[in-house]
Amino acid sequence: MENWLLKLVHLFDFFFKKQGIDLPRMYTIVQTKLVMDKRRVFLNWRQGAQSENSNHLRIVLAMYVFISLFISVAIYSEFPFLFSMMLFHAYVIFMMAMVLITDFSSVVLDTTDNQIILPKPVDGKTLFMARQVHILLYLLLFTTAMTFIPLISIGIKFGLLTALVSLVTVFLCVLLAVFATYYFYLLALRFSSEKRVKDIITWFQIVLTVFFAIGYQLILRFIDLDDISGSFELSWYSWLLPPVWMSYTVEAVHLLNFDSIHLLMILLAFCVPVLLYWVLTKYLSPRFATTLSSLNTEHNAKPPSSSIPGRSGWAEKLSPFFTREPIGKAGFENTWKITSRDKSFKLHFYPSLAYIFVFIFIFVFNAGKDVEASWNILSTTNKFLWFIYLPMFTVANGILFVTFNENFAASWIYHSTPLKKPGQIILGSWLALLIKYFFPVYFLMFLISVYIWGWQVADDFVFGLANDYLCYLILGYLNKQYLPFSRQPSSRQQAGRFLLALMQMVIVGVMVLLHLLVIKQPSLFYIVLAAILIICWLLEKYIANLSWNKISV
Amino acid sequence: MGILQLENLKKNYGGTYVLKGINLTIDEPQIIGYIGPNGAGKSTTIKILTGIIEEFEGKVTVLGMDIRKNAIEIKRRIGYIPENAALYEVLTPLEYLSFTGRLYGLEEDVIKKKSWELLRLFELADKADMRMNGFSKGMRQKVLLISGLMHNPEIIFLDEPLSGLDANAVILVKEILAQLKLSGKTLFYSSHIMDVVEKISDRIIIISNGEVIADGTFESLRSTGDKGSLENIFTALTGDEQHQTTAEAFIDVLKS
Repeated sequence: MENWLLKLVHLFDFFFKKQGIDLPRMYTIVQTKLVMDKRRVFLNWRQGAQSENSNHLRIVLAMYVFISLFISVAIYSEFPFLFSMMLFHAYVIFMMAMVLITDFSSVVLDTTDNQIILPKPVDGKTLFMARQVHILLYLLLFTTAMTFIPLISIGIKFGLLTALVSLVTVFLCVLLAVFATYYFYLLALRFSSEKRVKDIITWFQIVLTVFFAIGYQLILRFIDLDDISGSFELSWYSWLLPPVWMSYTVEAVHLLNFDSIHLLMILLAFCVPVLLYWVLTKYLSPRFATTLSSLNTEHNAKPPSSSIPGRSGWAEKLSPFFTREPIGKAGFENTWKITSRDKSFKLHFYPSLAYIFVFIFIFVFNAGKDVEASWNILSTTNKFLWFIYLPMFTVANGILFVTFNENFAASWIYHSTPLKKPGQIILGSWLALLIKYFFPVYFLMFLISVYIWGWQVADDFVFGLANDYLCYLILGYLNKQYLPFSRQPSSRQQAGRFLLALMQMVIVGVMVLLHLLVIKQPSLFYIVLAAILIICWLLEKYIANLSWNKISV
Repeated sequence: MGILQLENLKKNYGGTYVLKGINLTIDEPQIIGYIGPNGAGKSTTIKILTGIIEEFEGKVTVLGMDIRKNAIEIKRRIGYIPENAALYEVLTPLEYLSFTGRLYGLEEDVIKKKSWELLRLFELADKADMRMNGFSKGMRQKVLLISGLMHNPEIIFLDEPLSGLDANAVILVKEILAQLKLSGKTLFYSSHIMDVVEKISDRIIIISNGEVIADGTFESLRSTGDKGSLENIFTALTGDEQHQTTAEAFIDVLKS
């Protein structure tokens, strides 16, 4: 693929020569960057799908082509013209900004070049142009993947002229996305260090992953297709929305309607991106390069606030309440801290937490259909059981995720220390996950349930808590026991996820049945609760006493 | 024509001076051992001399040319081997060497021939087509050494070049450095490993807090007092003579 991209760049050789660019060196840099793009692991997609030797870029582009099919379907459907266009342009701006902020951050914020290319005989102008060409090629690839099929659909349904105007508005959308991204980085760089910027980007990626995980479940359920009428009412805020400007511009050409509203929209569609791009290249881009070049120097490094000696965090405060042995405490505190700082864990685990709310929306509130009717009869049902057991259904995933880590090799420490019972580390680690992720969600569920069902659900939440904990321990027990953060994150090793999901369904199902039995026979409440607590205690003992020969490596 | 000349070289980061006026002249090919405690300004000096850092105060002349005016020509004639094995890990050694060779303007067949030969000498030929993200630090360091030397530079800047190398590779690199010196190259060698600096350097420069505090041959530095090894001289000059007291206190804490 890079060959034809480079051939495309060759068409502009006359321009580069005129600018005094060292062509052989520029092409060497661009070609190498394209090879590296092909091999880079893309963050928006599960790393498991990207093996060591696969062409990651091609896989990701194929995914974007796949997503664009949905937009094409929307264009082909009976939606009003303006609605289709707004959907299309909003999709382009959003997806492009997302690609730039998440995956392309590693390219834009890459300071490795400073060490590798700067000592070589490459002049600044050539290096700058090579970077620009690389970014433009990257944008071209992604824009083509995202818009090629929708543009063809527009051409077939609304005519060639409309498709050509849409191509222009797509270009304007890309400019807007580039500007938004640079501005995002500049703001982040202005107020913090490179590390902080990377943290901010990590959080942005996590939010996006959560958004995608739940978005496709919710959005389709929220859209009532019957409600989309043929007319679109312009509000004052419509003038602030770029997809509206772009859609009106395309509509003006499509309907040959150049009234004052359409002309103003065309003006905004063209002038705002051009103006913003001019500000970007004239004022922001050079500052960005300067800020970036001053990063990554040892003298800029400031100690993180958490390294202030003597300051203890939540992990230290809570561990004495839940663990008795020093080894268990170590497992608890280590897991608490690493899960707060490990990007990969958050990217995998947080979306599964978000699913709690999706499932509640689907199962308790009837997926948004007849919400009022569902709400009116809710307090007469046993649906609070979803609030009790859904959190465990997702939090239990943490038992698997917590065993993986990029720095898995650091787990040598477990093997080199005189640990007799590594099970204590594992139990401490599981408890940390439970307290950190399960308890807050469970408490929130409790408050919502009290609001809906009243205080009579308190007993059920007490019983449910014991039941959930038993469920958690059984799931952990049935899985192979690995030490926390000791496994290499690869697709092959994560194959156990499906099995865990199956076991979760069965075990949580059994627990719900047990709970229903207690609801029907309240006299059993204390007997079953006592039995559950005893089994929990026995399981805890068993796990804490696990010896080395029971631990998987 | 001077090989290297630094006149009142200063550099500040956010108002704090990490180099406070370095003066230095190197007129003939030799191995310069450039040592100092962490944060003394060693890497900053090398980054200025190799054109990575462009903003500084004072005057720097490399191979008779002002680095501000002739950075590209200077870069063509120098080599730089950084400390922390910074390279594009997703590339294979051959791809990476091809990339850097082209940036130095070498012909394709020369790059290919030299890459294979040098990788073979470093026992990396069987890994020439493997991506470097699975390489050990020592293997990466070997690739970096090749990439910094392949264009046969006149001055070579080395920032901890032995970092991560195994014992055999260390011996080999030391021998290569000695041969480079014999062939008329200048080596600007920054390291923490004192005994290597002591053995291979013709001249030793010690910096501390951004200033040169000693400059001369090992013998001349030793003659300033009865200090024995370079390590002792370094300790005495950089004011870190309390090592023994610190070590004793360390043991006391362990025992407590």
